[in-house]
Amino acid sequence: MTSARRKLLQKGGLWAATVVVLFFVLAPMLWILDSSFQGENELLTRPSHLLPQQPTVGNFDYIFTGAIPRSFEVTGTLRSRISQEAREVPQALENSIIVAVAVTIANAVLGALAAYSFARLRFAGKTLAFNFLLGSRLLPAIAVAIPYYAIINAANLLDTYTGLILVDLTFTLPFTVWFLRDHFRALPEEIEEAALIDGCGRLQVLFRIVLPLAAPGLVAAGAFAFMFSYNEFLFALLLTQTIKSQTLPVILASVATNPDASLALTAASVVLAMVPPLLFALGFQRFLARGLVAALGRT
Amino acid sequence: MANVTAATEAGRTPALRRRPGPGREAIYAYLTLLPVLLVVAAFSLYPILYAAYLSLHKELLTDPGDHHFVGFGNYVDVFHSFYLVDSVTSTLVFVLMSVPAVMVFGLLVALLLNQAFAGAGILRVAVLLPWALPPVVSGIIWRWILNDDYGVLNSILRQLSIVHYAIPWLSNPQLARVALVFAQVWHEGPLAAIFLLAGLRAIPAETYGAARVDGAGWWAIFRHITLPLLRAPLLLVLIYETIVAAVTFDLVYIMTGGGPANATALVSWFAYTEVFKFVNLGNGSALAFLIAAALLVIILGYLRALRVESNR
Repeated sequence: MTSARRKLLQKGGLWAATVVVLFFVLAPMLWILDSSFQGENELLTRPSHLLPQQPTVGNFDYIFTGAIPRSFEVTGTLRSRISQEAREVPQALENSIIVAVAVTIANAVLGALAAYSFARLRFAGKTLAFNFLLGSRLLPAIAVAIPYYAIINAANLLDTYTGLILVDLTFTLPFTVWFLRDHFRALPEEIEEAALIDGCGRLQVLFRIVLPLAAPGLVAAGAFAFMFSYNEFLFALLLTQTIKSQTLPVILASVATNPDASLALTAASVVLAMVPPLLFALGFQRFLARGLVAALGRT
Repeated sequence: MANVTAATEAGRTPALRRRPGPGREAIYAYLTLLPVLLVVAAFSLYPILYAAYLSLHKELLTDPGDHHFVGFGNYVDVFHSFYLVDSVTSTLVFVLMSVPAVMVFGLLVALLLNQAFAGAGILRVAVLLPWALPPVVSGIIWRWILNDDYGVLNSILRQLSIVHYAIPWLSNPQLARVALVFAQVWHEGPLAAIFLLAGLRAIPAETYGAARVDGAGWWAIFRHITLPLLRAPLLLVLIYETIVAAVTFDLVYIMTGGGPANATALVSWFAYTEVFKFVNLGNGSALAFLIAAALLVIILGYLRALRVESNR
């Protein structure tokens, strides 16, 4: 075999493997997207239609306006399969985003303040405080589920954004502090010292010099906090009761595990839920990949 | 402090300005740490004590008048429960199937991503996507694909005449366990791939060059250079994925609800059921403590292995 032919074969092999992996990764998402544009009657045919034969936006229309999709009227008997919960998806999306954005902002501000002190200042109890933060993450979520419920209940925060935000902060802040501390430490200290000599306070140094320099780390930490909060399910399930505060994973779970669930409406709900995290993953791809590596690698 | 500041305000020496006393800096530090420490302390110290208290008392929501101290009675209950042996077995089976699957997937994809060709760039963007989704969403997607009646997988398999009947992916106990593994690999594999890719990139190119000069084939290179140099990242991914798999809850909740016949009811599922179905907070807390203790052992073992690894 000539070396040119061998190279060609090798390239072909690589591309073939890529196509297989791409298919495994993307096909499930594409299939739910495809399903969301099919009517209930079409989804209940066998074999499945790989492409919608009567593409419809009726499912999304129902979620946003409550107009019963045509595909349900046609068969009549399927009326019971209309999933009422799907109507709550827009509100749940709003709840999810409000909670996740609040958690992200709190992480960026509180996390950066604490991380900078850990990175640059000397004070008694520093190691203890830091180890305490990291150690708190050794508790598996399920072990503290009941006490969290009791605390949030006692504070009268059940079914509120605040309750969810507090719990999400407990899980994300230790990570953010530790992650940002390492980022701050990696910056050259001379610029900060020059600013201090010029009369800047620590707070000014942090906001004017350190944060702009550590922006990629801050973006990654913020993205992680957002995604954790947006994706979190167990505590959202325990601490929310009504659509006043229920987040998307809770509503999706109730849509999907309802034995009478409409497949078409479930698919459309899932597609809506996928939009923010996918935009995040695409937009912050570089930051996330680098952040992930740093996060796992430095443990 | 105040009168000193007032007195020296005008003629403050540069030296004084440069070094705010250690006291002031420490106060600033404590103020910045306070919010973080308060939140974390409120949601870690107190919950542990509270859970410990619950686990040592009778706490049954259907019997609200009786909260007497039962010692380790709740722990004994858990050990004698109908589910402990089965759920620990199911958890072990799930960990032993999903973790190697995630790692093999991660390693193969990482090797592919490490090749210099245009496909790697496309794949690197795409591969991260499933990981970004809520586990609930991954669960629903796979549940829909694997649906016995209308699932697209059965539909394709039948159209290609690979099978002539619908495979009961989620209603057969053994297959349901496999289905969970599929979803887990899809959701967790990307993380392993991205992380192992970083490990591969850290291997200097000269290492391979020297081996090639010596006439080593790709398998010999992989076996004797890549794998040994990838030990530390592989170990990290192994432990991280073990922990994630051991406390899997969302996927089970969505895909199988612990069924069929409790085949996919992992320990975390019963920690949830004890509290929210059997309303037995005492037993639930005892089980949660046992899970936490088991995980702690794994984590400590992992830190130890890492230390050994970094001292090599």
